[in-house]
Amino acid sequence: MPSPHRGEGQGEGQGVKEYRWRMPANWWTRTRHYFLYVAREFTAVPMALWLIWLLYEIKLAGNGPSGYYPPRSAAFLAFSAVVLLFALYHSYTFLKLAGVIIRVKVLDRSIPPRVIVMAMFGAWAAASVVVGFVLIWFAR
Amino acid sequence: MADKRVTIQATRYDPDRDSAPRMQSYDIPFYDESMVVLDALNYIKNHVDGSLSFRWSCRMGICGSCGMMVNGTPKLTCNAFVRDYWPRAIHVGPLNNFPLIRDLVIDMDDFMHKLKSIKPWVIRKQELPLGAGEHRQTNQQIDEFRQFSECINCMLCYAACPVYGLNNEFLGPAAIALARRYNLDSRDQGLKERLPVIGDAEGVWECSFVGECSVVCPKGVDPAKAIQQTKLDTTMRFVLPYGNRD
Repeated sequence: MPSPHRGEGQGEGQGVKEYRWRMPANWWTRTRHYFLYVAREFTAVPMALWLIWLLYEIKLAGNGPSGYYPPRSAAFLAFSAVVLLFALYHSYTFLKLAGVIIRVKVLDRSIPPRVIVMAMFGAWAAASVVVGFVLIWFAR
Repeated sequence: MADKRVTIQATRYDPDRDSAPRMQSYDIPFYDESMVVLDALNYIKNHVDGSLSFRWSCRMGICGSCGMMVNGTPKLTCNAFVRDYWPRAIHVGPLNNFPLIRDLVIDMDDFMHKLKSIKPWVIRKQELPLGAGEHRQTNQQIDEFRQFSECINCMLCYAACPVYGLNNEFLGPAAIALARRYNLDSRDQGLKERLPVIGDAEGVWECSFVGECSVVCPKGVDPAKAIQQTKLDTTMRFVLPYGNRD
């Protein structure tokens, strides 16, 4: 089977010369849809960095409260705010697509995707309230 | 109307003379408001330059032969109206992500191979004798797979898929949608024969849900939905007790 993607240029296929294309590095700038897709995937990178930092802080806090000083610099707070925005965007896009993926049947009738998406956002809001409450409660 | 003209910029490639594809412009009459890009190409072929090569057949969005890139978007040229682009020039190119044979004609061997690999036909463990009558289905059973059976194999979804563009080992949107069409068919018993292909790393799991395949699909098949639902189903088969049963 001739591969269409073994580098750009002429090659053999079907017994005749063919021209094989290569995806340009900037393919994701071709359409708005591609750009939003890459933005969605990219949000995972700063979130991963922030979570690595969180693991490091948890390790420090494990040594006891006396020598632990949580970071309070403006740069870190700004970074956290940006990561929060990325997390919200990632969650929004993920939950919005849930209606496409999940199929639920009740009494042999499929639940409309819109209802599934609304249920997902409802569960997200409820989980956020519970997590927020627990964090504030233990911080007191 | 007779004075209106439109510029068609077509990709040209002669494997015996060109080392790379080139562009050629044609200034032709925009003779009818119902004129589609395929009509423009046929006008060029019949009146201006008979050497221009492209595929087409039915002219009514059924056969899936005339898929090309129209101003950078995969389209059935029989369904792309010139009036929607006029007075700008219209660039017509071969479908992205496939090797180019000549002008606007691509090599579809890779797609045909993938289509065959998912066994797109009803598989029975044991065929019933003809005397037992037809396989009956309720409307609800048909509704389960009807959307995915609308595919006309036009390959627009492959041209729109950057995952396939970057890795042509990916099984691709149309093949997976068609596999799902048969897996959801109450008459079919071939899921286990298709699972090794669709559950492979180059099957559904290669897809990162760009979703452009569903945007460009001219028949509303929604291959992205088929792929994501297959991911969920195969995962459930793996994690649920008795999930691997037939």
